[in-house]
Amino acid sequence: MIHSSSTAELADDLATASAPRKRSFWRALLAGPSGLIGLVIVAVLIFAALTAPVIAPYDPLRMAAGPRLDAPSTNYLMGTDDFGRDVLSRIIYGARLTLQIGVIAVGISLSCGLLLGLVAGYSSGWTERVLMRLVDVLFSFTEIVIALACLAIFGVGLTNAMIAIGIASIPFYARVTHSVVLVEKGKPYFEAAVAAGAGHLRLIFLHLLPNVVPTLIVIGTLGVSTAILAAAGLSFLGLGAQPPQPEWGFMLSSSRDLISRAPWMMIFPGLAIATTVLGFNLLGDGIREALDPRQTDR
Amino acid sequence: MDDTRRRLRGLPALPGLALTASLTLGATTASAQELVWARYGDIDSLDPHRATSTLSMQVWDQIYDTLLAFDMEGNPGPNMAASWEASEDGLEYTFTLNEGIMCHDGTPFDANDVKFTIDRAFGDTPSLTKTSWGPITDVTVVDPLTFKVTLASKFGAFLPFLADSFSSMICDSNTAETFGSTTAIGTGPFSLDEWVKGSEVALSKNPDYVNYGEPYDNEGAPHIDRLLIRTVPEAQTRLAALRTGEVHIAEPPFDDIEAIKEAGELEIMVAENTGQDVFWEFTTSRAPFDDIRARQAVAYATDPQMAIDIIYGGLTNREWCPVARGVFGNDQEFCKQYGYEYDPEKAKALLAEMGYGPDNPLETTMFVWTGGNRHKLAEIFQSQLAQVGIDAGVEIMDIGTMNARVKAQNEDTTSDEPGTFDMMTWSWYDPDILYQLWHSPGAYSGYQSPELDAMLEETRTTIDPDARLEKVQAVIKYLMENAVHIGLYSPGWEWVFAVRPEVEGFKVGPFLHPNFLDVTVVSGG
Amino acid sequence: MGKFILQRLFAALVTIWIATIAVTILIHLVPGDPVRIMYGSFQTTPEELEAIRVRLGLDQPIWTQYLMYLERLVQGDLGRSIVGDQPVLDVLLTRFPATLALTVSSLAIAIVVGMSLGFLAAYKRGTWVDVGAMVLAIVGVSMPHFWLGLLLLFLFALQLQWLPVAGGDWRSLLLPALTLGLANAAVLARLTRSAMIDIFDQDFIRTARAKGLPRSIVLYRHALRSGLVPVVSMLGLQFAYLMGGAIVIENVFAWNGVGRLAIEAVLSRDYPLIQGFILFFATVVALASVVIDIAYAFLDPRIRYS
Repeated sequence: MIHSSSTAELADDLATASAPRKRSFWRALLAGPSGLIGLVIVAVLIFAALTAPVIAPYDPLRMAAGPRLDAPSTNYLMGTDDFGRDVLSRIIYGARLTLQIGVIAVGISLSCGLLLGLVAGYSSGWTERVLMRLVDVLFSFTEIVIALACLAIFGVGLTNAMIAIGIASIPFYARVTHSVVLVEKGKPYFEAAVAAGAGHLRLIFLHLLPNVVPTLIVIGTLGVSTAILAAAGLSFLGLGAQPPQPEWGFMLSSSRDLISRAPWMMIFPGLAIATTVLGFNLLGDGIREALDPRQTDR
Repeated sequence: MDDTRRRLRGLPALPGLALTASLTLGATTASAQELVWARYGDIDSLDPHRATSTLSMQVWDQIYDTLLAFDMEGNPGPNMAASWEASEDGLEYTFTLNEGIMCHDGTPFDANDVKFTIDRAFGDTPSLTKTSWGPITDVTVVDPLTFKVTLASKFGAFLPFLADSFSSMICDSNTAETFGSTTAIGTGPFSLDEWVKGSEVALSKNPDYVNYGEPYDNEGAPHIDRLLIRTVPEAQTRLAALRTGEVHIAEPPFDDIEAIKEAGELEIMVAENTGQDVFWEFTTSRAPFDDIRARQAVAYATDPQMAIDIIYGGLTNREWCPVARGVFGNDQEFCKQYGYEYDPEKAKALLAEMGYGPDNPLETTMFVWTGGNRHKLAEIFQSQLAQVGIDAGVEIMDIGTMNARVKAQNEDTTSDEPGTFDMMTWSWYDPDILYQLWHSPGAYSGYQSPELDAMLEETRTTIDPDARLEKVQAVIKYLMENAVHIGLYSPGWEWVFAVRPEVEGFKVGPFLHPNFLDVTVVSGG
Repeated sequence: MGKFILQRLFAALVTIWIATIAVTILIHLVPGDPVRIMYGSFQTTPEELEAIRVRLGLDQPIWTQYLMYLERLVQGDLGRSIVGDQPVLDVLLTRFPATLALTVSSLAIAIVVGMSLGFLAAYKRGTWVDVGAMVLAIVGVSMPHFWLGLLLLFLFALQLQWLPVAGGDWRSLLLPALTLGLANAAVLARLTRSAMIDIFDQDFIRTARAKGLPRSIVLYRHALRSGLVPVVSMLGLQFAYLMGGAIVIENVFAWNGVGRLAIEAVLSRDYPLIQGFILFFATVVALASVVIDIAYAFLDPRIRYS
């Protein structure tokens, strides 16, 4: 849950950043080590997810694909689990679930948070105060508690966990959007548009929205990593993925009874989560740096 | 009053008993002996009327005592009650209590305490297992050592129930609000020091305890001074703690058992006669399992023998009957005739008959409760079912939730969602469990038929053992032929113990009741 | 200052008030009949369920229920748990000290490790120390807490057997506190570094250096103190996140706090306990943030919130 630390800081940085010029953006992204490494990791993940049936050596659900609890070998690069399933194949297929979690959870929180933040920031006055006060309160409940409350309502399961995580992060995205909107509203171009008599919808969607997007791309990318961590955590606790889903957090949780007998069952899914999360974090940092070169050294 | 108490407390320390105790103690107890028993979960309540879990029952066993006691074969015999008599019509039982039984708070235990317990079980907030007491209408105290129980109809499982932990005798001094959560006064071999919720139940030996009928050598108070029952959820952590000596007795991780045996560092004990039965049952109130063919298809498609071999090695047995080994009415050969041998082709044929096929799988959900590696078994069954075209999701939940959800599933006749099935587990000391599960409305509002109801009533009202066996087996045959209750394996939970070498005399009574009366901890072990 | 404290307290009360509304609504969002889901287990009859519904007031209109809830709340009554039928507040209060011990000790670890790392990185900005510290920090941020926990458990408790695993004494706090502390140290390290870089760039530090003041004085008296301000402002949130993180970590190490209780409650659908937990958690976090904010205001008199 790294959302907490740098909300305000990040929003300020990005809000003051100038709009990116397209050609230099990619060059800037690939220039720094963060962006490059992040992009490579994320690309590998997407590749694995798309080509899983081709590149996975075994069926991830097939039991007795090998002997039970077999240590890593040339046949089973990451060993086998207690059903004789190939751990590597399960991790490759798990990439699909992981991407799905990231996209769905961030999709929910991003779209709802964006809408809330735009409306609150644009409207000002009572609407803004009430909305943002509410968002602040929800934010202080912390994401995990909101997610738990949602799961208590919906019941457990991976899909429900994705939705719960999405809902839990809405306050964060609303806050970021709100603070960016406040900065944008003070800029001359916006005041000019208001003076020119632009309508509400025009002001919101044509003037504010495009300027909020760069910030949200960064936040959303970093948010994917948060969502993946949270979903893995919920699955680990038995509230998310259910058998036989090869979800990494769930795989970790099944490894607990076997850590001294088969440590590979604990090491590789953990590595997969950490690497993926690292990838999205680096990519997010990279994008931020590319959008705002002044911040490169921070 | 104070004088009486002191005098009465002195009574059970009869010379003979005191001698036995001191002889067995021998030279091993120079200092206070403490035994730590670690289990995966905590108790739900100290009140025997407020919980149903095995974890809770095993603690009640230490704090409370029962009127009757099972011998090692599981037959009930005298314990707190020295004798009893049934009236000819079988509707009235008169019990005589042993003299001098003391509650942990120093008050004498008498017929009023029995009445207190039974009235409480039928009171405003009745016992969770109220119906298993039977059709009791009245309890009358005749004199301090004699009481009379009146039943509305004959009840064949009455005496065995009085030996079960659900009938634990509660002293009538348990009137405080805190009873069940921080206080509990019984007459059992240990008294409660403290229950630290989620982590530990601390017990001290009850020096006044007299063993009237429990099948253990020790006839008096336990040899150990303290018994600490600790919650350690992770199997690996329990094993580590066993190795360092922090814990003396605990369930080990299944996959490490071979290695433990080879190393010889710990003794592995497997409980027998647990009364535990793991079985398939179905939501029969709507599709697909309102159709017997769907139920049979699940039974044919799954191979319990293979699954338990993989997950438990040789630690458990294939169970064909709806009541477990060691329970009246269990007969593997008899049950097998009506059982479903693993036969995926037959399953496919049944499914095809119903209109399911490779492009149109039967979709359903399997409920399983946490612990005992059952979720792993479920994964194997899930994969076996997939091979015949049954697409079963697995949902893992705790047993309380599963009980409630199975019942809700059965009562929901209108849902468009396909009905569920579940790996249910029950541990009971008598085939009366079948009455409680399947006599309408039944514990889960599951499968019901007037025919079955009539047969089940006869298992309750027939007292003569041979005649009752016939009635029970008729029910078993019916349940299996109709694919209502399909036995899978037994035992199934909390039945394997790893014991440190310095612990001697640890025994597990029938129906999984670990007992510490004979236990000593040899120092320097 | 008095006004500021009052404002912060008022905000905390609003938070708690909204939490009471949220938990009242929660029970009504559950699909199906909550009474049956909660109490409809083994051997309950429809009549008994109806009696429970009346006893809990669930047959009343929702606003009446809310008032009833508040009334009981004022008397310290959060209802009784389903599992084991115990007073919810008692259960939460017996478990809370364990969570508090875990949260506070990991906060201490996070502050010491995170701030030193961040400070060092800023001071040695651009060197391999900086790069190394930041790589460590981003890896730390990316690592699932529970995996770090499993690795530590595997290494220290199972392989090396250095630590007791099943006991309740202070030594069994080490691993969970270390896990949670290290995981959050990464966040603090990044934050501290960027705050310190800003400070080092500021004129007064340059002036102090130019005046020839000893380096250590410049560092500790000037830079560190000003650098602490933005970091301390985050501690309230850090505390909240540690409380949240504790929920998972308690389950890894079987640490007997409210977090483990919460997961058990969700898994067993023990709604009175879930409601109590949410309200309790919100209250603790709100009050903690008031305390930290006030401490912060004393620390840095320049800052006054409106």
